[in-house]
Amino acid sequence: MDLAFSGTDGILILAFYAFVMLLIGYLSGRGKDIHNSLSGYYLAGRNLGIIALFFTLYATQYSGNTIVGYTPAAYRTGFSWLQSISFMTIIIGVYLMFAPRLYVIAKRQNFVTPTDWIHYRFKSNAVTILSIFLMLWGLGNYLLEQLVAIGQAVSGLTGGTIPYQFAVIAFVLVMLVYEWMGGMKAVAFTDVMQGIVLMIGIVVFLIGALYLVGGNMGDVTSYIASTEPAKVGVPPLEGSINWFSILILVGFGAAIYPHAVQRIYSSKSERTLKRSFARMAWMPPVTTGLVFVIGIIGIMMFPGLDKAGSEKLVGMMANEIAAIHPIYYWAMVLFFGGIVAAIVSTADSVLLSFSSMLSKDVYGRFINANATEHKKVMVGKFGGIVVVAFLLWLAWNPPATLYEIFVLKFELLVQVAPAFILGLYWNKLSAKPVFWGMLIGALLAGFMTLTGHKTVFGIHGGVIGLGINFLIAVVGSVVVSVSAEQKTEVEEMTSLKVEA
Amino acid sequence: MQNNRVKEPIQKKWIWIGMVLLMLAIVPWYFPKGTDVAIVLGFPYWALISLFFSLVLCGYCSWLCLNEWNIVEDLEEAKEVKGE
Repeated sequence: MDLAFSGTDGILILAFYAFVMLLIGYLSGRGKDIHNSLSGYYLAGRNLGIIALFFTLYATQYSGNTIVGYTPAAYRTGFSWLQSISFMTIIIGVYLMFAPRLYVIAKRQNFVTPTDWIHYRFKSNAVTILSIFLMLWGLGNYLLEQLVAIGQAVSGLTGGTIPYQFAVIAFVLVMLVYEWMGGMKAVAFTDVMQGIVLMIGIVVFLIGALYLVGGNMGDVTSYIASTEPAKVGVPPLEGSINWFSILILVGFGAAIYPHAVQRIYSSKSERTLKRSFARMAWMPPVTTGLVFVIGIIGIMMFPGLDKAGSEKLVGMMANEIAAIHPIYYWAMVLFFGGIVAAIVSTADSVLLSFSSMLSKDVYGRFINANATEHKKVMVGKFGGIVVVAFLLWLAWNPPATLYEIFVLKFELLVQVAPAFILGLYWNKLSAKPVFWGMLIGALLAGFMTLTGHKTVFGIHGGVIGLGINFLIAVVGSVVVSVSAEQKTEVEEMTSLKVEA
Repeated sequence: MQNNRVKEPIQKKWIWIGMVLLMLAIVPWYFPKGTDVAIVLGFPYWALISLFFSLVLCGYCSWLCLNEWNIVEDLEEAKEVKGE
């Protein structure tokens, strides 16, 4: 993204955001003994109220990437990118499938990570290890995507005034420091600031863009209809199948993101959780919906861009908007700082979740089960730093366009869904078929993606893998006999009792 | 189940039938294919209909969260009042 509009001003804004994040981190951790308790550090003591929970859920699902990556997607796809509203909304629908019961069980059993549930339910190291691998893969990929995006946004904002790598390292350090000081609480409270900036920024951006094309959406659509009719036409059948497929892939994938699941655990109460979700259900139209309109307007402002050119669309539009008036100039500087902040806010949640899984699942379960909670927290914190260093090394050579990375991570992560969701309700579901389903589903999805067959008739490899995974888990469990004793045990596990 | 007032979305079939029907209405598979489309309120007509049902899905999910989900809320709120 090449922005000519901002240099020193951009650096000032970024420094200001960085300062506020550090201050929030300091205040969140001050005087509290969060470093000696896994749930204190990773789940904010299971005491998040509605404002913090809502914004931290928002920052989990929407990142600066939602703007930087989805605007070009709308530009390239045209009106069928409206799918971004429905696939972000359906995530709440999938939450309704499992969050109500999981919340009760997680409170009763003091779960910290999503794997705690998988391990408790199936009591199988094979299932646990495979789930850990798939979830860490998904998280690592997501974190990598955020690190790539921070670099692009920062270099755009500062017009190359500070070198790209230096900017990324500076922001990653800020993130590590505030996360170190305040854990989940710092992450959630910085999310409040970052979320508000992002929401306001999108609205200002849209107003500016609409102003530049004459203020009439009808003119934009008529223009596109005359120059690129395929972008306004009814999508072909394969396009519609692809739309259904992405509803399943993103719906199930994003809902069982480890950091998303941990927000269910962090909620202060059921009332807080369901009210946060109820508000979240309205966020797609005002976030991805507005971003969609911005991308459509981009088609008229900068017609004929190729794929690489369209990836720079947000920066190009921001340049034009900034030139309207000094107020817009400053709004754009703030907005770009906001994009960086929003990317950091997503990255911090992912990193915290990654650390928690290293702490509790990898180290605490398989390496040193007798370690103190303090030691486990420390292993997670240092492990997180090592992972970020490794991913930064990868991020200097981003592998594909942003959206492609986004789909890739779901292909594997989504394979955990049958074990996770079906395990809550179907007492006969057994470990062995679950393991084989998950493994074969993941291998198939990975194989299809790696061999360039990302979709077949519009259906994503991840969704085909998920179907086969589900089938193996169900058929296998019907065939495998379960003793009456085991059945009673699982019934007890999945019950809605409040006390253990 | 602890009492009759427990509401869990997974147990109600109509919720999921509604969800699938909305998905079927959102995805524009049922319109005649083609690029010559009427523009209504600045949107191609099919996109406006899809947008409408997308908004209905938002409202539906939001409403379900508030009205069809109640497992331990009463118990937790009672504890809160008691200051436990």
